[in-house]
Amino acid sequence: MEGWAGKILDINLTDGTVNTLPLDMDMARLFLGGRGLGARLLWDLVGPEVEPLSPDNVLIFAAGPLTASGSQTSNRFSVSTKSPLTGTILDANSGGWWGMQFKRTGHDAMIVRGKAAAPVMIIINKDGVAIEDAAHLWGKTVSETTAALGQNNNRRNVLCIGPAGENLSRMAAIMNDGTRSLARGGPGAVMGSKNLKAIVVEGHERNKPHDPERFRFMLYETGKLIKASPLTSQALPQFGTAVVMNVVNEIGALPTRNFQASQFEHAEAISGERMRDTILVDKHACWACPIACTRLTRTSHAEGEGPEYETTWAFGAQCGVDDLEIIAEANYLCNDLGLDTISTGSTIGCAMEMAERGVLDTELRFGRADLLHDAIRDIAYRRGLGDEMAEGSYRFAAAHGVPELSMSAKKLELPAYDPRGMQGQGLLFATSNRGGCHMRGNMLGPEVLALPRLIDRLASQGKAGIVATHQDSAAVIDSLVLCKFTNMAVAEEYFARVLSAITGIEFTADDLMRVGERVWNLERLYNLREGFTRADDTLPERLLKEPVPDGPSAGYVVNLDPMLKEFYEFRGWDENGVPTPEKLKELELDTLAAEVEGSGA
Amino acid sequence: MIDQRLYEQFRDIGRDIYVGQLTSSHGGNISVRVGSRVIIKRRGAQLGRLKPEDFVETSLYHTDSGITRASTELIVHRAIYQKTSALAVIHCHPRTAIALSLSRDAIIPIDVEGSYLLHKVPVVSSEYSSGSQEMADVISDALREYKIVMMRGHGCFSTGQTLEEAFHWVSALEEASDIILEAHLLGEERIEYRKHSEAYSKW
Repeated sequence: MEGWAGKILDINLTDGTVNTLPLDMDMARLFLGGRGLGARLLWDLVGPEVEPLSPDNVLIFAAGPLTASGSQTSNRFSVSTKSPLTGTILDANSGGWWGMQFKRTGHDAMIVRGKAAAPVMIIINKDGVAIEDAAHLWGKTVSETTAALGQNNNRRNVLCIGPAGENLSRMAAIMNDGTRSLARGGPGAVMGSKNLKAIVVEGHERNKPHDPERFRFMLYETGKLIKASPLTSQALPQFGTAVVMNVVNEIGALPTRNFQASQFEHAEAISGERMRDTILVDKHACWACPIACTRLTRTSHAEGEGPEYETTWAFGAQCGVDDLEIIAEANYLCNDLGLDTISTGSTIGCAMEMAERGVLDTELRFGRADLLHDAIRDIAYRRGLGDEMAEGSYRFAAAHGVPELSMSAKKLELPAYDPRGMQGQGLLFATSNRGGCHMRGNMLGPEVLALPRLIDRLASQGKAGIVATHQDSAAVIDSLVLCKFTNMAVAEEYFARVLSAITGIEFTADDLMRVGERVWNLERLYNLREGFTRADDTLPERLLKEPVPDGPSAGYVVNLDPMLKEFYEFRGWDENGVPTPEKLKELELDTLAAEVEGSGA
Repeated sequence: MIDQRLYEQFRDIGRDIYVGQLTSSHGGNISVRVGSRVIIKRRGAQLGRLKPEDFVETSLYHTDSGITRASTELIVHRAIYQKTSALAVIHCHPRTAIALSLSRDAIIPIDVEGSYLLHKVPVVSSEYSSGSQEMADVISDALREYKIVMMRGHGCFSTGQTLEEAFHWVSALEEASDIILEAHLLGEERIEYRKHSEAYSKW
């Protein structure tokens, strides 16, 4: 294969049929792979009538044209589905080895439909595709399942759900290679609803470049950039993603105690520097990754991978906890039970505020580190209050009459940035198609880290265009599929040339950005078809009306309305946030838009 | 209406372009895209002395009364915004780069910084090399593949997410051009030190 394998696996768990479909190459050119291809396939397969946890929902696992090519970080893959947490279109992606191995089975994507009568697993190897009984694995944790199925990096890779997915927690992740996660939006619950415990892949094909000489040159050039960037060559390898903890805290953008403040007085105790000096044992890299940001850590009681910055925040500042060992163990637990750490930590933080305000009768309080681990187990196994929290913070808080205490956008818990101190990040969260998320065009780069340039984090005029192009760029990276960290050192003009070298089809940087814009607009159309409106492009009331109480961002709220108006104009959408017919025609999406009321097509 | 924070960016970058001798007193123009609008320097305003009233806000897509005061090159700026993902555009007259553009179809830096940042800057031509639709088409098409291009004998058009980014490419181009010129004037045989440098001409 040269970029694309040309095949899509189509598996129906209800009747056990397995088919191989040809990849539509026009679709591949327009959407590349990963998130883009997943969104396009999902558009046809899952309409607004489908309930996310019903057999009619599908899971689409997709690699990209660069996957398994050996290009830096070409290990990733994504899963697309309708989210049981948000009701929006969802994709989540993950690194490690599984994506590379799946691509080497000779497939670009795999559609999983229906529901098995009893727990099953899918095995893909050179003998073909088999659906096998997995009753003996049901109830087992991620580490138990992964070990039982013979995980072996570079040869046999395991993807599975844990108890949280089996119990249909709306915050359940899908895990691969033991500790990597497709976390956000509850894809693990969709997999659990299908009685699908695991997917094991053994690959044997190669993704070879069409132009090996040009590919070698581009690997050399991109490698130079990754080595030259202090973030990718020093900060991330030395400290992991938690390297930004102190930085974000210093500027007054670290959400603290359910976003009641934007600086955490104990940030240093949970920082990347402190992690390096205390619990860090080693670092680790995904396949073909020169960065190696993964942390291998050991506490007094356990050892494992992580925690990442977002996780350290979710169980740290968000819950008022400053015990790094307990936070790391919370991360190990979430990995083993198959839970999204951001949503889990944020929901627990929400419960803590509810308890402090007398809305909830529980011992949970900010700073009660001793209760974190039990709360996580209760969410995974849906026990007691955990059963309510497993619904996600919005449904949980709304059930108790205080939806405003859920720090979420479109019901997805916000990550570790207080947007009152990063205005562009606020617009990003409000407009993200899968709900409040930083991985859809993180403004941490330009607003804080000066990547590629430092912009005024508190300004709002002119921000919308920067947010939108970051969103489009993220959609490109997610469709290739690569790691976002490469994009902190390498620009689209390089990715375009790498893609051209591998596929033999010439792409420019602008072609790629157009793909990103197309993907973003298709996701928007999907959500409009589901009934989402402009009113959903918003943030928790706290962030719009309660100024930051003190610190470097004191006095600020998110100036959302003017940024949103500018954003719609920039995107070529009408005042209701609906893409105009002209824009859809320009993006070659006009034939799809007829299904969306108000699109004018 | 331009707000104070954005005005300060225009003022500072405009000053840097003039002080850096990258344009004459009244030459060059700069703009940013805001939603579906363009904010551009007023025609005839001095880049080195920009005041809040020296800006025109006009539609990205339609001609309106703003054109009576906007820079002559507005047509090029509009075309660039419509065809690329640029959010800021700088046009100015870097003199060494202009000199090099008279004798080559691309400026290929030979120094580390220029090679790293630019690889290659194409030189394009247009019979009407100021404010024409032909020029707007040629420039905007080239900027779909490159972040900065030279119009032969005229000057550069540079793009970025911010004015600062676009200015970076201009500054890097002129520095790289100075080095090419000075190395040429030395007249000594050049020692190639860059792996894969032969591929830069095909960038």
